[in-house]
Amino acid sequence: MSEYLFEMRQIVKEFSGVRALNGIDLAVRPGECVGLCGENGAGKSTLMKVLSGVYPYGTWEGEILFDGKPLKAYSVRDSEDAGIVIIHQELMLVPQLSVAENIFLGNEVRKFGGVMDYDTMYAKAEALLARLKLKDVNVAAPVMNYGGGYQQLFEIAKALAKNARLLILDEPSSSLTSSETDTLLSIIEDLKRDGVACVYISHKLEEVARVCDTVTVIRDGKHIVTKPMSEMTTHSIITAMVGRDIENLFPKVEHDIGEVIFEARHVTCWDVANPNRKRVDDVSFQIRRGEILGVAGLVGAGRTELVSAIFGAYPGRYEAELLLEGKPIKVKSPEQAIKAGLSLVPEDRKRQGIVPLLGVGDNITLATLSHYARAGQIDRQAELRTVEAEIKRLRVKTASPELAIVGLSGGNQQKAVLTKMLLPKPKVLILDEPTRGVDVGSKYDIYKLMFELAAKGVAIIMVSSEMPEVLGVSDRVLVVGEGKLRGDFQNVDLTQEQVLAAAISHAAEEPAHAA
Amino acid sequence: MQAQKVQQLFVRYKILALLIAVAIIWVFFHLKTDSAFITPGNLSNLFRQMAITGMLACGMVFIIIAGEIDLSIGSQLGLLGGVVAILTVNQGWGTWPAIFAVLALGLVIGAFNGFVVTKMRVPSFIVGLGGMLAFRGIVLYITGSSTIAPAPDDLIALGQGFVPVALSRWIGALIFLAMVALTVRRRLRRGKLGLQQGALWIDIARLVAIGVFIFGFVRILNDANGIPIPVMILLGLLAVFTYVSTQTVFGRHIYAVGGNMEATRLSGVNVARVKLVVFALMGLMCAFAGIITVARTGSGSPSAGTGGELDAISACFIGGTSMRGGSGTVYGALIGALVMASLDSGMQLMDVDNSWQMIIKGVILALAVWVDVLSGSNRNG
Repeated sequence: MSEYLFEMRQIVKEFSGVRALNGIDLAVRPGECVGLCGENGAGKSTLMKVLSGVYPYGTWEGEILFDGKPLKAYSVRDSEDAGIVIIHQELMLVPQLSVAENIFLGNEVRKFGGVMDYDTMYAKAEALLARLKLKDVNVAAPVMNYGGGYQQLFEIAKALAKNARLLILDEPSSSLTSSETDTLLSIIEDLKRDGVACVYISHKLEEVARVCDTVTVIRDGKHIVTKPMSEMTTHSIITAMVGRDIENLFPKVEHDIGEVIFEARHVTCWDVANPNRKRVDDVSFQIRRGEILGVAGLVGAGRTELVSAIFGAYPGRYEAELLLEGKPIKVKSPEQAIKAGLSLVPEDRKRQGIVPLLGVGDNITLATLSHYARAGQIDRQAELRTVEAEIKRLRVKTASPELAIVGLSGGNQQKAVLTKMLLPKPKVLILDEPTRGVDVGSKYDIYKLMFELAAKGVAIIMVSSEMPEVLGVSDRVLVVGEGKLRGDFQNVDLTQEQVLAAAISHAAEEPAHAA
Repeated sequence: MQAQKVQQLFVRYKILALLIAVAIIWVFFHLKTDSAFITPGNLSNLFRQMAITGMLACGMVFIIIAGEIDLSIGSQLGLLGGVVAILTVNQGWGTWPAIFAVLALGLVIGAFNGFVVTKMRVPSFIVGLGGMLAFRGIVLYITGSSTIAPAPDDLIALGQGFVPVALSRWIGALIFLAMVALTVRRRLRRGKLGLQQGALWIDIARLVAIGVFIFGFVRILNDANGIPIPVMILLGLLAVFTYVSTQTVFGRHIYAVGGNMEATRLSGVNVARVKLVVFALMGLMCAFAGIITVARTGSGSPSAGTGGELDAISACFIGGTSMRGGSGTVYGALIGALVMASLDSGMQLMDVDNSWQMIIKGVILALAVWVDVLSGSNRNG
């Protein structure tokens, strides 16, 4: 009899001759949380698909034991019946359905003849949410009334409704604020006490360090190390993930800061759905040539709205006065913004960054295509020369520039989007969450590029939810809270606590409600 | 494993699968009609029939790639055809002034549709649905619901005439040489840029196949007086639309807009303008199709073009255009149009009842898209 609830042994998975997984071991005891770490493309998602039955039994080699018995899942349904539930990075909730309907989706409590038993479902849903310490939720209200933090917890409730004994969380905090993440982590700790086992997949190693008992690192489809967390540090995890020693996460390069190059005055944005509500309320700031300006704040504070208004991309009503090099500029659309000398790398790569079916090269030149054209006809030779030079410069890993960009890993897609917005040679570069969902190696490359650009005199505005990133990269930090400017700090001996205090000041910590 | 390879081949050369489908359809009808299908006279007719759907499909494929739809094109065709008939028959305009006026009107109508979709933000499905009724209503109003005839002879010649036999031969030879030149240029350029080259034998096989096809095409049509003028116009449009879609900034922007509109907008592309132009081009294609319809039948009928939108949309989907937008080809759509025209022509020859014709065409459309889904080529996005 084994001490483990769940064991994967020597898992091998091939895709047309390429070994995506090459002998992976993973084991979880009851009530234990195992952190699974690895760069993007290391094989984490493939492993999870093997585990959850997306790749049916027989399409991979090795064995999976659950409760000491071999598990042969031919579909997701089979693995869920056994008690293994995955919570994906992108939430899988139907926004228009109620909380209870979502929790029991596919699992509905029925009365005779397939009629839904709402009373029982509501009661059970409330009990489940109470277990997650959520008390002020109306289970009959649509899910879209609640913010990302709540929705993440609904996903967990949904998993518990399926009697999950092994919970797999894939980047669960990628769209949560730090206080929401905190709640999530303490709930995981509660679940562990109840004997639920977890696999926690995250790039955020502080979270892994806090909640996990054991860490497994994989790299290039191979098992690298499994050790108790007590014997690991974030540094040793990173070293194992990258396979080389990254001494400094932030390769800071000294750069000169010049005169004021860009100024935004009185930026105000009104909510799209609720025109009386201000998402950004009279924010003004300046940025200097060669300066990296971090914009910190909680999720939903209005940072993305602020930068998209500056770039002419805010969907609702907004007002903004912009001055570039002392002269007022008119920016009513991204087209005008780019012409004026601004570039924005948006927050949501999949929805706003890439055109999935177009080639990597076509994506890279999308913003500057007319530069390579005469009389509307594309000069492919000129285009390709630029593309290849950029691919090399940013170390974008792709077999060919003609490959559809959707096939690349997150980090490489992000590099392609970044170079796309750099080709117009912006004077002010706006980066909204530039390293979200990006592996450590690519992160390093992106920071390096930012410092290089700053040294060349480009002013960079970086919106980020990752505090170490904000403090590690910025020359100056703006703090935004509830749409207002709450702080403007020179980044000298600045601490996370100072920034956070500014972000939360005035506002009593309000749960992310009705986002 | 072997089956997988065949599948990969078809995904890569979707066009091959479509051509095989056309061949099967032709052979089937040929056998079923006592060898009356693959004859110069019938094929000449078939291509002429296909020309009108093909013109609509040229415009429609851009619309669908851009992620929109236009259901009003059958009515637009009717309206623009009606106008050309009224101008030439009732108003005594010369044929060419009338043609240019109608082409311009087509552009305006299309641009108007595009304006409503992009600036007023009415979904294109609804704009098309409204236009389908409204434009048809206008045709009925201006024609007084009666057929306008007879169209002048020089207009009729456009629809019923032929490119002379000798010229047809030269045109065939020219097209073939152009294809050879393009292939050689492409290989040389890719070689110079260090891009992955397709196998040489594939390119040669492709050219041989194209050569045989063009030779057969011209030979057969020459046995029936030469290439019909509408078919010649369609070939010209095919060249222009393929050029636009593969070689121009505007063409790349159409694919980008359909593939991810938000990302394209944030890259500084004027998304609304791209869509507006695509709709305007659709209107222009409706003008072409309307003029040729009047020219072919010698009269402006108020019901001309009814159901034309369905044929054009089916042609695009059979030809592998993605329903979600972002991918598709002009030549694919035209082969789709050829499939639809072949079915029409063959079933008419077989004297299949009209009800069955509709059932069969409907089933084949669904089947074609199903095969496309199976082949996995539309899985992304």
